[in-house]
Amino acid sequence: MLTIKNLHAAVDGKEILKGLELEVPAGEVHAVMGPNGSGKSTLAHVLAGRPGYTITSGAVHFKGRDLLALAPEERAREGLFLGFQYPVEIPGVNNVYLLKAAVNAARKHHGLPEVDAFEFLTLVREKMRLMRMDESMLSRGVNEGFSGGEKKRNEILQMLVLEPALAVLDETDSGLDIDALKVVAHGVNTLRAANRSMVLVTHYQRLLEYIVPDRVHVLIKGRIVRSGDRTLALELEQRGYDWLMDEAA
Amino acid sequence: MSTPLLTRLRDEFGAVRAALPANVIAAAARQEALERLCALGLPATREENWRYANLRVLERARFTPAAAEAAMPALPEPLSGFARYVFVDAELRAQAPAPPGVTVRSLRAPGAPTNGWRFGSDLPETRLALLNETFATDAASIEVRAGADAPGIELVFVAATGAQNGASYPRVRLALASGARLTVVERHLGAADAQSLVNSAVRVELAPNAQLTHYRLQHGGARAAWFDTLTAELAEAARYDLLAVSAGALAARSTVHARLLGAGAELTLSAAALGEGQQTHDMYALSEHRAPRTRTLETFRGIASGRARVAFNGKITVGENAPGTDSRQSLRGLLDGAEAEVDLRPQLEIYTDEVRCSHGATAGKLDENMLFYLLSRGLAPEVAQHLLKWAFLEDVIARIALPDLRRQIELALIGQMSEAATLKELL
Repeated sequence: MLTIKNLHAAVDGKEILKGLELEVPAGEVHAVMGPNGSGKSTLAHVLAGRPGYTITSGAVHFKGRDLLALAPEERAREGLFLGFQYPVEIPGVNNVYLLKAAVNAARKHHGLPEVDAFEFLTLVREKMRLMRMDESMLSRGVNEGFSGGEKKRNEILQMLVLEPALAVLDETDSGLDIDALKVVAHGVNTLRAANRSMVLVTHYQRLLEYIVPDRVHVLIKGRIVRSGDRTLALELEQRGYDWLMDEAA
Repeated sequence: MSTPLLTRLRDEFGAVRAALPANVIAAAARQEALERLCALGLPATREENWRYANLRVLERARFTPAAAEAAMPALPEPLSGFARYVFVDAELRAQAPAPPGVTVRSLRAPGAPTNGWRFGSDLPETRLALLNETFATDAASIEVRAGADAPGIELVFVAATGAQNGASYPRVRLALASGARLTVVERHLGAADAQSLVNSAVRVELAPNAQLTHYRLQHGGARAAWFDTLTAELAEAARYDLLAVSAGALAARSTVHARLLGAGAELTLSAAALGEGQQTHDMYALSEHRAPRTRTLETFRGIASGRARVAFNGKITVGENAPGTDSRQSLRGLLDGAEAEVDLRPQLEIYTDEVRCSHGATAGKLDENMLFYLLSRGLAPEVAQHLLKWAFLEDVIARIALPDLRRQIELALIGQMSEAATLKELL
């Protein structure tokens, strides 16, 4: 599904990713963990195509295609979804409109007709119940006046509606209380499927108690320094990241 | 302004003065208006409050009123519950029965009173109203009797004649007696490619406790020059909600002079401008607080794309007899294009204590974070940009309380912004 080879990326001339290697097969959930400043969010943004990052070398393949050659909106239509660490508020752009525009952009890209408005609303309402979101949020501006937890739920709602092939969730757990975390995790878990992959970018192990990953990778100083199964996350929880710092050097 | 232009103005007036209807404005009053205008001179961009207007269009214009022979153009869908009055080149052509409690008169009509009203503001910024007073060929006088809760009136002004063949001078007086209520929709439309000159003058008089909701939509033709001057007097506890959208014309300038004369009077001024191509949208608004506990709430949202210029100059003065005044200004501009220009100027002058006044003005480009968020959801860049521009104007457009009107305006703005059909799903 996703293959990253020797990826180097810089921001404002400063190299953040320094030869990152990652392979995420279809159907798997991988966690990328690391201390602050290790390059976790840079990785998520580079995958989604955010402007401001310079790829100095390396390659990224998504479903066999050269991901880096695609514009951000093309990546999305191909089925890549980024769950933002800090979802943006867009007053005046209605939530349900954005959802529908996003779904239709992907459908058009795949040669499918637009969604039926009524069926679409029914689907969205169902997913909202799953995320324990109030229906009134639909008619509000995108994330407008939402609390931190509501914004994160809204990200997952969008993901549930868009059903991406690859979801990259950037610190989706940050700022969530335990109840919201469970709701978000439940939403993510319902989307696990054999033809879908997920990359969970996180600082803490806590999220992984609710979304059990197939693989855990440790990102330090722009490189994956260690990979393992979920027990690696537990080890990090106990020992912190310091013991791996030397390996990164 | 050049003397040759004033000479031409006098000559043109001299040639038509005998034919101008005295019911609308008496001949002596016309002459007086012309003299005052000539003494003040036509506005010039060297004046602080005219800096951003496109005044070149005045130099090539013909001031003589158009002959009003043009055919009735296509009009927007009528608004349900509104009595519609249509003016072609500022002369009344079609009317509905006036709603109960409301008198609507064309002063040109036979039997109309001969004492046509005067504009009533001496502010130099309002002096283009003198040009209107010099040449006006018709005037609408709308009166609402005390206590009447009147249904709506729709005034449609169509500029159908090219400027080389004459100008049009819409002229409206809206007078609400004590406790009266009215909603007025005033539209200015233009024939698609007529290079017309429109110079309108509107006088609003609100008696104690009167409430006027006034929607003004400028959708002039793409090559039109549109000048507009409005003055409003608010008595005690009167309330004036003015919402203006400027989208059409090549050169548009609107001047508003509001006087809050009675305690507790309230003005809400919400304005939006959408400038594309080489358009200029310039607005100057002065709100004078001259009585205690008066209130002004001012909101402006303007977008300049291409080589357009959008300007809003909002001045609020709080006189020494206006303690307890509350005024708020929120002015925002959005720039889309290296050659686009937005000029925002909030001004506040306070001559008393115990007031609450706040103002903010920001101009900037489309928010990169918002843009990327929309792209990351698969929206095409041009759709995302239009959506954000749209959202920017919504601060003002969302205040339109009439769903049909709001939808018409939204569709018109979307149509002007883009061909992107997907945006229409917004509605």
